[in-house]
Amino acid sequence: MVQEIIAFTILGLAVAFLVKKFFWKSKKKKDCGGGDCGCS
Amino acid sequence: MSIQNINVALIGNPNVGKTSVFNMLTGLNQQVGNYPGITVEKKIGFCKLPHNIKANILDLPGTYSLNASSMDESVVIELLLNKNDKLYPDVAVVVTDVENLKRNLLIYTQIKDLEIPTILVINMADRMETKGITLNIPYLEEKLKTKIALVSSRKSRGIEELKNLIVSYKTIPNEPCLNSTVIDKDYFEKLQHAFPNQLLYKLWLVITQDVNFSNLDRNEIRSTFTKSHSELKRLQQKETIKRYQFINDVLKEGLKVDASMAKDIRAKLDRVLTHKIWGYFIFFAILFIIFQSIFSWSTIPMDFIDSTFASLSSWVAEELPSGILTDLLSQGIIPGIGGVIIFIPQIAFLFLFISILEESGYMSRVVFLMDKIMRKFGLSGKSVVPLISGTACAIPAIMATRNIENWKERLITILVTPFTTCSARLPVYAIIISLVIPNERVFGVLNMQGLSLMLLYLLGFGTAILSAYILNKILKLDSKTYFVVEMPSYKLPLFKNVGINVVEKTKAFIVGAGKIILAISIILWFLASYGPGKDFNEAEAIVKERTIQKPLNEVEFENAVASQKLESSYIGIMGKAIEPAISPLGYDWKIGIAIISSFAAREVFVGTLATIYSVGNSDNEATIKSKMQEEVNPVTGEKIFNFATGISLLLFYAFAMQCASTLAITKKETNSWKWPAMQLVFMSALAYFVALLAYQLLK
Repeated sequence: MVQEIIAFTILGLAVAFLVKKFFWKSKKKKDCGGGDCGCS
Repeated sequence: MSIQNINVALIGNPNVGKTSVFNMLTGLNQQVGNYPGITVEKKIGFCKLPHNIKANILDLPGTYSLNASSMDESVVIELLLNKNDKLYPDVAVVVTDVENLKRNLLIYTQIKDLEIPTILVINMADRMETKGITLNIPYLEEKLKTKIALVSSRKSRGIEELKNLIVSYKTIPNEPCLNSTVIDKDYFEKLQHAFPNQLLYKLWLVITQDVNFSNLDRNEIRSTFTKSHSELKRLQQKETIKRYQFINDVLKEGLKVDASMAKDIRAKLDRVLTHKIWGYFIFFAILFIIFQSIFSWSTIPMDFIDSTFASLSSWVAEELPSGILTDLLSQGIIPGIGGVIIFIPQIAFLFLFISILEESGYMSRVVFLMDKIMRKFGLSGKSVVPLISGTACAIPAIMATRNIENWKERLITILVTPFTTCSARLPVYAIIISLVIPNERVFGVLNMQGLSLMLLYLLGFGTAILSAYILNKILKLDSKTYFVVEMPSYKLPLFKNVGINVVEKTKAFIVGAGKIILAISIILWFLASYGPGKDFNEAEAIVKERTIQKPLNEVEFENAVASQKLESSYIGIMGKAIEPAISPLGYDWKIGIAIISSFAAREVFVGTLATIYSVGNSDNEATIKSKMQEEVNPVTGEKIFNFATGISLLLFYAFAMQCASTLAITKKETNSWKWPAMQLVFMSALAYFVALLAYQLLK
């Protein structure tokens, strides 16, 4: 039982990490690659 | 007595030894991060100075001038113009190379005009004697209105003098080098009249540069004082000419070069290394040696890491109480971490070689040599480095595109680099080639299996170049295109710099991509270890019933149950679900599972097939191979891994974007999901259609 709780917690953390990493909208500035990118 | 904190910005052209000065000032007291919102590396170090002063040393990206053409250069301008930035420098230290003083002083004069206290460091002073150079330091200090530190990062000389100058930065005059009104008298006088409280040169940068400025309403300035693009360009050129006139006048008296005293082998070496035939020959010979070394030297540490993690998995499985957590640790997390750590030797060796080539000054010659060829395909000479690095791993290779100034060229390089054959494709290629290509010799010399592998490498590189050509035609991005490359002197690499670079790059891979690979491994393990319905839950009973006529021994039975469970697991169901889509390519559901599970990382393909074919251990290649060879399609009765399926699979893995970490790093580097999504769709579609075509033609 304890093993299951810990294992599924790890799974939850892994999913949360990936969601945060790839789908969480950060408030960072847009691409400033070059030209008139409008980041100013 | 309280400690006084000051900010010191190290600024200078690329390849002037700025990072060496930074390392000498800070030692290992360094922090590496990114500037907010962009992926330009930010390095801050700390240095204790006399009189209880603590200096925060900021190593800014190398830049030729304050006319921004790359992200790196924009960072420098934004910092120097924003007094509210917590890193705004109390003093700027402009690092120059004694051999390239004229060009290096351009940015110095621009920073002086921003009225920031500026110290001039003339680096590589130890080479003055061999180059026949003499400097009149008091004269230069007077004309350039600064204090000069003669430094030799190679001989660790002059750093204490520099520290003392930083401490007394308040005594350095803030006068500009160039009166900005000389650029266009009427225009600048009107500008000054409209904004009497602003620095004239700062206003000029607001008008001409696309960077962030605080406290200034750029639209107001631009709308009132706008000029046509060509007129602004003309004035910028005039500014540069005026600055070089000033620099020439100063150096005429301050710098003497006695060519008869110089013992210069640089010119002789350049003639050979950038020769239109020998240059390429030498370059490819060096590449050949590097890749031979990377693969042969990496084998021992990689095998050690592999066996250590395998032993750890087995130890955990045996010693910990049996249960889901133990299984997750031994089959998911430990192999997941091992799957990241195993790439450390290759990445470290690759960056070791790249750092040595960069430090020695050779890489700039390669960039110059390749620029002409690459430009025809929409790439830059600087794209060569990422395309070469991609042979080990696309992740550091994409990170290596940061020094390409032109955004379009940088983007195209990022998008096509994953076509280069990375080391993760090797296990896939090795097993499939050994299955479908006969181990025979052509002309009695060339081994066909080896030749196939080489062709796959060439195919990857060729596709990258061709895709770049197509993208160059399709992408409508407005980008400035010009090519400036520093030709630094040849020198022996500083091992401290090489070491720091290797550690930083390896750490970035482990911390950045490693977390993603680990998380995906955990999820994949759950998907492969759980399944719905009785097919999964009653796997043992189903296998017993199926083998009642022909009983299996204990190991065979366990393998058959594992195979049944995998087939009924969530990932197995996914494999079955995609079977109709992949059967025209010659694949069955088991290969489908391997393709799904290897989406995160290609090398997972072999391990997954090993599990599916009830072998249990992907290290035992002979066993996997024999099982794969025996695998028969139950419908057609033909062998699954025949020549057509094998070639189809090889081509699929040559083109498919089977690497979540590469997508993640593309997102990170482009700051947008649009480009990795395009990469994924384009590469997957290409892989599918080429594999389909190959199978249908060859079957």
